[in-house]
Amino acid sequence: MSAEFTRPESIEAAVEALGEAGDEGKLIAGGTALALMLRQRLIAPAVLISLDGIQRLTGVSSSADDIRIGAMTRLRQVEASPEVRRAIPALAAACGEVGNVRVRNQATLGGNLAEADYASDPPTVLLALDASVRAVSPAGERQIRLSDFFQGFYTTALGSGEILTEILIPRRPGTRRTAYVKYRSRSSEDRPCVGVAAVAAFEDGVCSELGVAVGAACETPRRIADVEALAVGQPLGESVIRDIAEGYADGIETLEDLRGSSWYRTEMIRVFVRRALEEVASVGR
Amino acid sequence: MLDAEARVRGEVAYAVDLELPDMLVAAVLRSPIPHGRIVELEASEAISLPGVVAVLTAADFDRPGGPSLLYGAIIPDQPVVAKDRVRYVGEPVAVVAAVDHAAAQAALAAIQVEYEEEPATYDPLQAMNSGAPAIHADHPDNLFVHGKLRHGDVDRGFGEADEVIEETYTSPLAQQASLEPHTAVARWQADRLTIWTGAQAPYTVRGALQRIFGVQPEDVRVIVPPLGGGFGGKGHVRIEPLVAAVARKTGGRPVKLSLSRAEEFATVTKHPVVIKIKTGFRRDGSLTARQVTLYWGGGAYADASPGLIRASVPRAVGPYRISAVQVDAFGVYTNLPPSAAYRGAMSSQTTWAYESHMDSIAARLGIDPLEFRERNMLHSGESFCTGETMHDVHFSECLRAAAAGLGWDRPKTRDSGRLCRGRGLAVMMKSTIPRSVSECRLALDADGVLTLYTSTVEMGQGAHTALAQIASEAVGVELEKVRIVGPDTAVTPYDATTSASRSTSMMGGAILDAAERLKDRLREAAAPIVEVEPTALVIAGGEIYDPASAEDRLSYAETLERSDLKSIEVAGKHSSQGGLDPETGQGVATPHWHQGAGACEVEVDIETGKVRVLRYHSASFAGRVVNPSLARLQNDGNVIFGMGPALLEEMAFDQGQPVNPNLSDYMLPSILDAPEELGSELLESEAAEFHGIGEMTLPPVAPAIANAVFDAVGVRIRDLPITSERVLRAIKEGPSG
Repeated sequence: MSAEFTRPESIEAAVEALGEAGDEGKLIAGGTALALMLRQRLIAPAVLISLDGIQRLTGVSSSADDIRIGAMTRLRQVEASPEVRRAIPALAAACGEVGNVRVRNQATLGGNLAEADYASDPPTVLLALDASVRAVSPAGERQIRLSDFFQGFYTTALGSGEILTEILIPRRPGTRRTAYVKYRSRSSEDRPCVGVAAVAAFEDGVCSELGVAVGAACETPRRIADVEALAVGQPLGESVIRDIAEGYADGIETLEDLRGSSWYRTEMIRVFVRRALEEVASVGR
Repeated sequence: MLDAEARVRGEVAYAVDLELPDMLVAAVLRSPIPHGRIVELEASEAISLPGVVAVLTAADFDRPGGPSLLYGAIIPDQPVVAKDRVRYVGEPVAVVAAVDHAAAQAALAAIQVEYEEEPATYDPLQAMNSGAPAIHADHPDNLFVHGKLRHGDVDRGFGEADEVIEETYTSPLAQQASLEPHTAVARWQADRLTIWTGAQAPYTVRGALQRIFGVQPEDVRVIVPPLGGGFGGKGHVRIEPLVAAVARKTGGRPVKLSLSRAEEFATVTKHPVVIKIKTGFRRDGSLTARQVTLYWGGGAYADASPGLIRASVPRAVGPYRISAVQVDAFGVYTNLPPSAAYRGAMSSQTTWAYESHMDSIAARLGIDPLEFRERNMLHSGESFCTGETMHDVHFSECLRAAAAGLGWDRPKTRDSGRLCRGRGLAVMMKSTIPRSVSECRLALDADGVLTLYTSTVEMGQGAHTALAQIASEAVGVELEKVRIVGPDTAVTPYDATTSASRSTSMMGGAILDAAERLKDRLREAAAPIVEVEPTALVIAGGEIYDPASAEDRLSYAETLERSDLKSIEVAGKHSSQGGLDPETGQGVATPHWHQGAGACEVEVDIETGKVRVLRYHSASFAGRVVNPSLARLQNDGNVIFGMGPALLEEMAFDQGQPVNPNLSDYMLPSILDAPEELGSELLESEAAEFHGIGEMTLPPVAPAIANAVFDAVGVRIRDLPITSERVLRAIKEGPSG
């Protein structure tokens, strides 16, 4: 019943190992989620393929066009990365809010996305940032926009032989303000009841671009383009903030779990979309 | 704490660390349905699998010379493994012993069971309804105990009241949540059983196993290593019958059973309860009558619940002067895992009701909650509703100490925008066990080492440290020279249980008794040496002397050596008296009252309903403090522990299926949730006996927080836990009264 464990040292070798194992294989990145699933016998793979030995999958790099984060970069490394903290502080903040420091030192950004647990922080920020992921398979390499990546509970666009290798966050001209607000309805180490990320660009005090993503309250993190558009071309004032918060509260079908009912989730979307927008608006003024 | 360094280094060996040669591991097949018949059980394939040594089913019981199937602390209603019928999800149906976990799991998968599901019932009030399915044929109304208290004429009392308030409070099924799950290792040698188990009451376990296996007391040896927490969940027999019964089929190979967290959730729980409380009062704030009706969910088996539910009766009223009182406590079977004591047993639930209720009355009267309680508080010399006279009670001092710590008389901190602040307080009274016995032995050897033989269980609370200190001081031997031999029924004498905060008091009393006997023996040994009568000798500071020639002093070691004694060993005993009449609840509830209080300040976010406890001050009456730092940690630990059931903890079920049987979905407080300001007072009184302090500041936590929430935002939460959503809903519904 115990799984065979392999630790390939290149992406190519990992792709090959995954291909050989087929449905019996599972990739293991940081293992913080996978180990729990194994212990609870929710999954019983025959082969565990660790990505831990692939040096190329770790680290943050940046170019004029984008910031790239290797899939095996630990959440703690993302949180502490000077590049991330300067360019997209909300992503550093979200990674710094996951679980506790022991989890963050082990869990990886790629693993976090590939697991697609709805009650998570980084996916929400990355969605608001128009991020995409790079995935490699025997058929080659492709880029998947995050808006297409999450498909449902623990379900992503990744094919069975595909490995997520990198996260790409596009740079935008001008100054952007980002905020991530995590709301825990229970203990201080709980997963989010609702998480809201806001990304706003301002020109002369006028909002030129707005991204708002809501996570943990619904199956997959959500953005609503029509509602985001309400802000464009005007200052991010009290009444437009309220309209956007209402738009998200009305527009998202919320789920129910031990962190709150569907009704409560909707109420919290209204509150935390507003608070996230107030945060970007106050630094944007 | 004596073994603090070993604990910090991770060197303390728990039951789970025990490894024996040839040891097998056990695994348990559990019911997937909440209620139904076992139509067929086929286990023959499992035993033929490689690595599988034994398979245990109900067919192994009640045969000539075999073990008995049914057991129970008071009502023998629980089968070791289910026979014909299952009554909750997770109930053991079969047990296997195999060479490793993989083989054990394969064996479980090979056992075929066909079930026929039947209607189930989960809520204690619904389970008492006539239409509810009967869980045990001999209890058609699912009622297994009815505890009563009758004092004065409640009808007249309500008639004399200016006003009457009636409220219903609930506290849900929850977990003791010890970090160490239940673990036991059993080994049979010939017809003698040795079992190592993480249990709070070694002699209770011995008695149950002896009855199940039909052997003599000396044929069962129960050894208890240090526990990784107990909190009442390990207070009675739990997994020991399972592992002992399967070990009987392995040809002498020892078997270990260690539960997963999910199995732990299916093994023992904190009682859920619905409490209806009604009080009549006059405009001057005096109380004319109180009626409390409690519906306790016991789960599928009665376990220790009949005794605990009877004990809940005097714990349901509160430390107040009330001329007429009626209490009815019902214990009800449901199709959920059995319930058991939970730290602050039953008082953790009853205090939630009566202390929230007291604030409801205070609010109606417009009297300050502290002042209102003070007007009604019981003092020493007054009579309680059991008819007993209160002695050595300091409820008022405890409450005032907690309130003073918080600064109750200072003006309230102002609210800022969406964050509203409020303050609340609560006090509790709890009985300990009335008829119980603790025994110990003390042995002093010629090297001056004093050994204490005790069945008190060390479960992280520091009991062994406190007992060693008591022995050291009473005998006059340095603490470094005191050794403790812990629970082993073949070696250490009888003790009822390590629970109900009784160890420092009861085992401490036994040690004081033994110390006096030891000193008598030392005087007798020294008398021929000093050439005076033993009664003329004085013992002080570890030395024996005749006051007439005080410069000639004998050390203990010298006394033993010159008497040609290798050691002196004595026994000591302490027992408590009392008991209540089952029909009237009149009598003596407890040898002494447990007393604790708390006061806190909270902040409520009115947009989310989230409650943050900013400051908390607790106080308990300790009688005499043995170890100040450990005692303080009990007070503080209780507060943080108590924030769990107050704000977060609830076992969730969907049609009897557990929804959150793990510690990421079942929410315990994080250390980050602890109040930034945490104060603690330990009250003592001159010449007082030792009082237990392990639970006293826990029961007030939930009502103190709820009362502070009421103060902050004007809403009364009556169902635990006080979740953010409950508070927000209440705020949106508007102020309650």
